[in-house]
Formats: sequence, C-alpha cells, structure tokens
Amino acid sequence: MDKEIPSEDLMTRIAKDDTDAFEILVNRHQTSVLNLIYRFIGDRAGAQDLAQEVFIKVWQAARDYEPKAKFTTWLYRITVNLCLNELKSARRRRWFSFYRSDGDSEDAIEENFSDGSPTAEDLLLARERNHQITDALQSLPDNQRMALILKRYDDLSYEEIARILGCSVSAVESLLVRAKRTLQEKLRNF
Amino acid sequence: MTAGFWLESCLIYYRPIILGMRYTMKCHSVQKKLSAYQDRELEPRGQEEVGRHLLSCQSCREQYEKLERVWQTLGELEEIRPDPWFYRQLTRKIKEPREQGLLPALQHVFQLLCEPVIASILLIIGLMAGSYLGSMLAQYDLFPFQSIPVSSSQGTFFTSMKVFDPAPPGTLAHGYLQMVSYKEDESR
Repeated sequence: MDKEIPSEDLMTRIAKDDTDAFEILVNRHQTSVLNLIYRFIGDRAGAQDLAQEVFIKVWQAARDYEPKAKFTTWLYRITVNLCLNELKSARRRRWFSFYRSDGDSEDAIEENFSDGSPTAEDLLLARERNHQITDALQSLPDNQRMALILKRYDDLSYEEIARILGCSVSAVESLLVRAKRTLQEKLRNF
Repeated sequence: MTAGFWLESCLIYYRPIILGMRYTMKCHSVQKKLSAYQDRELEPRGQEEVGRHLLSCQSCREQYEKLERVWQTLGELEEIRPDPWFYRQLTRKIKEPREQGLLPALQHVFQLLCEPVIASILLIIGLMAGSYLGSMLAQYDLFPFQSIPVSSSQGTFFTSMKVFDPAPPGTLAHGYLQMVSYKEDESR
C-alpha cells in the first residue's frame, strides 16, 4: 500500500510533521541513497552516517519543498552536495592526520554470499575484485565518478544527471566518455 | 590547423592499412557516439544507425565490446544494506540538535580554525628554534670556521653563509689554499 503513495505526496505530509510518512519515505529510499554515497566515497561506515545526514536535510527542508522536478532528482541533489562537502572535509582531515580508511567492504561481500557457505578462496577473490573496482572508481575525478555512478547503478538519464550535478547534458556526456575511457584502462585485466 | 588535428587525420587515413581492416570516416564518428549509444541516449535514428554499423564493422564492434565489459565489471561492485536501526538512529539525530543548541556549530567552527592555527604555531616554533640553534652553534665555536669573530646577529648570518663557500674557513681545503698562497708569496 505504501508503494502507491508518491514520494511527493509523502513530502507534503512530512511538511506537517507526519513521522509515519517520513518513515515510509526513508524506508523507500534509504538503500539507493546509501549505495550512491558508498560507491562515491568508498567508505561503508561513513556512508551510513552521511545517508542519515541526507534524511535529516530532507526532514528539515520538507516545508520548503516544491515538487517542481522528480522527488529522486531533488533527493540525489542533496546527496551529491553532502557527498562533495564530506569529501572536501575528509581530504582536509587526511592532510592533517594522514588518516586513510579501507577494508570497509569486506562485511558487505560476506553478506552477498547469502546462499550459505562461500569458500575462503571465493571470499578472497570477491574481495580482491571488489577492491580493484572500488580503487578504479575512486581514481576518477569527483564529477566523473558521480555521473558514472548515477548512470550505471541508478540508470538515470543524461538529463536527470545534468539536473542533479547542475551542468549541461553535453557536459554529462563528456564526463561519461572520459570516465569510461579511464575505467577501460584501469580494469583492462578483468 | 593543430598538430592534434593532423595526427588524428593521419590515424583515420592509415589505420585501415596498419590494421588491415576497413576503417572509414564513419567509424570515427561512430566511435565518438559509442558511449551515448551504450547509454541509449542517441536519437532513435542515431541508435539505429550505430547499431547497423556495429553489425558490419569489426573494429567498432570490438570497441563497443570493451565498453560493455567495463559496464559488466562495474556491476560486480557489491550493494550494501542499511543498518537495521537506521531509522531509529535517524530520528534520534533529528531530535538531538534542538537539545544541544549552538554547541555543535561552535565545535565545528573551533575544529575548522584549530587545525591551521596549530600548524602555523608549530611552524613558527620550528623556525625560531632553528634560528636560535644556528646562532648558538656559531657563538660557541662549534662550526669549523670558529676563528671568525661573531659580534652581532648580522655577523652570525654572514658567517653561516660561509658554509656555502667552496672552501669554508677552517676546512682542509681552506688550509690547502692558504698554504699554496703562502708559498706563492714566499717565491715572490
């Protein structure tokens, strides 16, 4: 039944402090927001925190929300802005503390072997491949990486990506061409 | 005409000869559109034209297959699931800022200011310590050119600069040069 209510209508209810509507909205979009962030920043724990920040912004901005565009476009725009800000401050933190996080994806890989018993070799191989793909993605410039993630994993059109990133459709096309070319080089051993 | 343009033109012209394949001007324009074709972002007519060309051209088909392989590989990246307590934590966080008021914002500003200030202070301390140690070494005859009298900070600076001479005073090279000049004086 929840699926029948459009997200835009839920936002109208959230503007009137309806927590039930907010819970439905969060449950509906949390996985896509979380994975968009995770693929962009490459940090599992950081992605959980940041995804919560996104929904806090949604709650706070509900009264100002005007359904001009698709709800997901608006939601992803908030997500992208938060991700870019987080990356900026993370780079500054790393500059001062030489902090680097990795190895976050290992739990996720084990979760994906949900049929029961992955062998140690399977796990190792999956981890290795996952690391290589993550590294290849992380090597892309921020705007190329975001455009590619929105296209590959969320299957958005160039026009929607352009609206989210605040650039032209031709710029999105060019970002994707360059991102794919770089990834072809980085992932040529797969 | 730029060098890039000439290089590109030569590649288009000679590539079929080098590769032994049929590579036309059309291949060049098709390969530029492959990414948009893969994303189904071309006009219906363009999609159809590129599709037809791919059926007949091995070189372009290979390029497209490479793109497809990358796309498939990216699909292997795992999907993570939200924590089961995601919503509960979220509602708690929404209530928190109202209770804490301005404190988190002030903490954030303090954090932002704190790091550069500490780095600057450390840099200044380092510079001052370096300058102090330099003058101490010169004053207490710890340098090889100790025979030069040091009377002021300016003197210390110029004395320190003597280290960069090819034969600083007090070194073996300096002694040798003095000996040679003494012998030359004697011979005169």
